[in-house]
Amino acid sequence: MEQEYAIEVKHISKSFKVYLDKGHELKERVIFRKRGRHETREVLKDISFSVKKGEAIGLIGHNGCGKSTTLKLLTKIMYPDSGTITMRGRVSSLIELGAGFHPDMSGRENIYINASIFGLTRKEIDRRLDDIIAFSELEEFIDNPVRTYSSGMYMRLAFSVAINVDADILLVDEILAVGDVNFQAKCFNRMREIKADGTTIVIVSHSLGQIEQICERSLWIDKGKVRDEGIPKYVHEHYLKTMEDIRLEHVEKETEKETEKELQEELPSFCSPRSIRIGNKQISFSDVKLTDRFGNEKKIFKTGESFMVKMSYESREKNLQANFGIGIFRDDGVHIYGTNTLIECDCLVDIEESGTVAITVTDNCLLPANYMLDVAIHSRDGIRYDDIRNIVPFVITAAKQDVGVCRLDNHWTVNGETLAKRSYEN
Amino acid sequence: MSKFQEIYHYRTMVTSLIQRDLRGRYKGSALGFAWTFLNPLLQLGVYTIVFSTIMRAGIEDYYLFLFVALIPWMFFSSSLTGGASCILAQKDMVKKIYFPREVLPISLVTCQFVNMLLSFIVVFAVILVSGKGVAPLALPYLIPVMLVEYLLALGIAFVTSSITVYLRDLEHILGIVAMAWQFLTPVMYSIDMVPERIRPIFWLNPMSSVIIAYRDILYYKKAPQLNTLLLASALGAGFLVVGWFLFGRMEKHFAEEM
Repeated sequence: MEQEYAIEVKHISKSFKVYLDKGHELKERVIFRKRGRHETREVLKDISFSVKKGEAIGLIGHNGCGKSTTLKLLTKIMYPDSGTITMRGRVSSLIELGAGFHPDMSGRENIYINASIFGLTRKEIDRRLDDIIAFSELEEFIDNPVRTYSSGMYMRLAFSVAINVDADILLVDEILAVGDVNFQAKCFNRMREIKADGTTIVIVSHSLGQIEQICERSLWIDKGKVRDEGIPKYVHEHYLKTMEDIRLEHVEKETEKETEKELQEELPSFCSPRSIRIGNKQISFSDVKLTDRFGNEKKIFKTGESFMVKMSYESREKNLQANFGIGIFRDDGVHIYGTNTLIECDCLVDIEESGTVAITVTDNCLLPANYMLDVAIHSRDGIRYDDIRNIVPFVITAAKQDVGVCRLDNHWTVNGETLAKRSYEN
Repeated sequence: MSKFQEIYHYRTMVTSLIQRDLRGRYKGSALGFAWTFLNPLLQLGVYTIVFSTIMRAGIEDYYLFLFVALIPWMFFSSSLTGGASCILAQKDMVKKIYFPREVLPISLVTCQFVNMLLSFIVVFAVILVSGKGVAPLALPYLIPVMLVEYLLALGIAFVTSSITVYLRDLEHILGIVAMAWQFLTPVMYSIDMVPERIRPIFWLNPMSSVIIAYRDILYYKKAPQLNTLLLASALGAGFLVVGWFLFGRMEKHFAEEM
């Protein structure tokens, strides 16, 4: 039964010595013995997984998580410190394209060199030559030296060789982004054909979409361990969510830092340090808060989430009437929105000694970006009592992948039938 | 799959690397492949001028005496020094693609060997033109002698190529080593000129036997002595075995060390 697995990886670990200052030379080794100091970095910690024959799996994870190292161990470019790897069948790897290309030799000659490095014999190459040339779409140029090729042609030739090396197990590292859109699509289709032929495939990629389209399973490697494993879509959602949380943590920290700075400025604590304040202060803001609809102060919202701007004021005089307004600018200066009580309600606010005016935006339709909030108190005829630009920075994060300035509510129908909405986690 | 089978499977890689090297080397130059023959011929010219007219060595037809030993020596020394850089030069390939690493030193040494064979065309041409002629009975011995030298060179290349990955200095030290080795091998003089006392040291040098055998065949027109041949084969095989195992041990960490 074991034989149904093409790849079996059992408890492999791998560490690298990271030399702080490596002496590759004899003199350095002898004279500066201390220079050999190094840290051992554990890149893979006890990873196990297996891949069935004909199955395709994707390895995902952020940079430096160990996924490329795993692939290198599978190809036997490196060897694990402990644990075993069993590969059943002929292995071919699409990790490096155009290995051994000689610029002065023709495309045809280079096909032979390159394919032979992948372990093909002359006969095998002879048999594939026409396919390779046809795939590369370089028939006219195949006998010209490759130094006359454009970089796109060069990569196309290299990829055609690599993808025409048949194998029982194919290892692919982040190389499907070759050539123009048409060629990419062609490569992608070829990958599917290869898979349909029963080849076992392991792909390392940052393009989660590609993995979802080819692979039955995803393996998320995080800090040298398998963090999650399963149906690509679910693993990827888990992965993306975690990545997003980490990113948001950074954003939170940044905004916290900014808040700290605020305290040192002359501006009141509720203004960001970049605020600009003008006005005669007959009526002035005593506090401005950006909150969610429950009144909790917040600076990061998702598209579709409601938010509220709560403005407290105090006044030196009574018997005034004032127009309260807000404005929203994107960080590239685009004026996204602005409104005030006069526009919305055709009325002014009767001013007392102090009070609170709030505006609630239900289901905000802003798309992911950094934004700035402006607030203002004006008289009916435009005298500025208090006007604070850039008072609160805030961030909108994605709920969906739609693009543009703002989200327009929509629904789709096909032949009159409404398509169900894709559901997103909130 | 055993290592030998695997290397055999990669034979096309060996031949295409050799082809790339031989053909790529002179691409773009006006005389192209002719340089393969011109180079040894020009060298011969220099040696003839220096040793037959300026610094007379007192050996009959010294240019020929030297030439039949120098060509095989150059094969050996270029395997020695070239071996050192052959893995590092293919850094990108070694780091990114799997293939039996032995392929690299094998193709380097084989390429140099092919170069020597081509130079031998010049050697024979010179021998014929000089009117010294060849001994048909001695000539077949050239084949085992060349083979032994090939094994020896391969063994050395395994050693230097693998160690250089870990210790980059070797590449630079080897230039001097090759020069010293040449002077300690009877390339430019005959073994008879070496004082009796230190002659045993010379027999430890595997290249002494090889060069003497070449010269016996091509210059003295006689079959090499059997014990010379046997000693050379034994040392050649020894070097190869040592080199093979050393290389096998070292290659596992090539990708990390580069």
